[in-house]
Amino acid sequence: MNSIPTQADELAIEVRDLRKSYGENLAVRGVTFDVRRGEVFCLLGPNGAGKTSIVEILEGYRTRNSGEARVLGIDPASGSRELREQVGIVLQESGVQGDLSVYELVEMYGRYHVRQRPVDEVIELVELNEKRNERAKKLSGGQRRRLDLALALVGDPELIFLDEPTTGFDPQARRQAWSTIRSLCQLGKTVFLTTHYMEEAQFLADRVAVMRGGEIIASGRPDELGGRDLRPAEIRFELPEEVGLSDIPGVPEESRELVGARVTIHTRQPVRAAQIITTWALDGDVDLAHFSVTQPTLEDIYLELTGSGEPERTTVAEEATA
Amino acid sequence: MNPTIPQSTLGRDIGLVLWQIRYEQRAYWRNRGRGIFTFVFPIMFLVIFASLDKGQTISSRGNIAFDDFFVPGILAYGIIATTFVNLAISTAILRDQGILKRMQGTPLPRWAYVLARIGSATVIMLLMTVVVLGLGVVAYGLQLRASTLPGLIAALVLGTACFTTIGIGITRFIPNAEAGPVVVNLAVLPLTFISNIWFPIDSLPQWLKTIAGIFPIKALASSLQYVFDPRHHGAGFDGADLKVLAIWTVVGVWMMLKFLRKPMGDVG
Repeated sequence: MNSIPTQADELAIEVRDLRKSYGENLAVRGVTFDVRRGEVFCLLGPNGAGKTSIVEILEGYRTRNSGEARVLGIDPASGSRELREQVGIVLQESGVQGDLSVYELVEMYGRYHVRQRPVDEVIELVELNEKRNERAKKLSGGQRRRLDLALALVGDPELIFLDEPTTGFDPQARRQAWSTIRSLCQLGKTVFLTTHYMEEAQFLADRVAVMRGGEIIASGRPDELGGRDLRPAEIRFELPEEVGLSDIPGVPEESRELVGARVTIHTRQPVRAAQIITTWALDGDVDLAHFSVTQPTLEDIYLELTGSGEPERTTVAEEATA
Repeated sequence: MNPTIPQSTLGRDIGLVLWQIRYEQRAYWRNRGRGIFTFVFPIMFLVIFASLDKGQTISSRGNIAFDDFFVPGILAYGIIATTFVNLAISTAILRDQGILKRMQGTPLPRWAYVLARIGSATVIMLLMTVVVLGLGVVAYGLQLRASTLPGLIAALVLGTACFTTIGIGITRFIPNAEAGPVVVNLAVLPLTFISNIWFPIDSLPQWLKTIAGIFPIKALASSLQYVFDPRHHGAGFDGADLKVLAIWTVVGVWMMLKFLRKPMGDVG
């Protein structure tokens, strides 16, 4: 089975029409996606969207109701040791033997793997050098999370699962964690990330899939998600009283509107449009107050896609009547 | 980029078990609370009660010295504390803290981890045995006889097998880590009073003896007491008690497998 070289060899993860329910609650409702080797893939969505169900099915902790899943070519439900040798897992919350030191823990978890990275190198990578002899139970939250990462990395995995890796971090600790995760990408690892922070997805991910109510509702590169790159930019400014909307020269535009003195122009050629307008304003000595050009942010797109950001709960009964 | 993962061998896996026992040992001895609860308590009880009862004899047992009864009784209690109590409470903590789940995600086979946990408890149990019997011989006139060694070994092996497996298996009935000590003491403490641990049950009503006879605590205590009873001259085997321990070992293994088979992640 492994000997047939297919396109699947390029894929770290393949998921087809994956479904998972807990009693009446449909947590995952037919999800399909691929993760290529070497990329950082992010499941983004509000709490309760089904992200953790998916990641824990791929990690082998939960069983799927139906659909296909392959992780590094292996069915994660098989409990294969070969798969566990190649995968590093950072769970959303999981304890660690608190009476052992950082060094001892990295060494201990490293031994489980046939192929392993040097303990000191891993501790260095997650910047826990100063805490190497500290008992794990004495670490701060951020340090504990970095230890989690170290324990996932010590087996030199091909693929790393990070489930909400920075939840509860202060902004500085989050930046630090991001730079560590970025350094993983430079090692050529595949990273599967879940988060409900847009910023995190934008900063780390090569590709993002947005989830809501157990379904993927959009996917793509962070800069083109939801057609973000194709959407018109907005040029805004205020017109002096003596100037009207029709006095503005023709620009490559989608639409223009005037509310009070405030003008909003939607255009797919913001640079050209801005140049024409500013040239006209400078030549005619027209004072345009509060001039700005903006592209829709990932946040705009995300909020638009996920609605209010409230987790959706749909039951079997509801879906049956729908 | 198609790295082949070398397969682990049985020899390497056995090495992993031995390494894991070392880490489990370090964690155990560094946790003072657990060490006192499971290791220091039985020894403390031995010193206190054996000192109180010094010189007394047991008329219902041919006037043997009370200590010849009490030291092996406390040894039974110590074995139960270091295996059953220790494993039940710590496994519930490991489960609640998500450590079992984390271990499940590593390449360490589950059997190897469980074997290491049992092995580590056995190391502590052996240390307990050495301390209790050592104190018994040095301070309380206990006689270690080479002839009854097979009986002692049989009781230790079966007792350990029985109480380690039940200790892990009972975790299923411990709803959360805080309830651990409660559930465990509820299971052990009342039975110790009718199981030849603190005093001979010879004069207890028959129905209490019958209840005690079902459970493995009395079986372990009695089989150890048989070994150190100066009236017995054979190899120290008490067939009926060892049979009870063997049956409970089967039950323990079944309980343990039932607990371990459940995946750690699937909630609801």
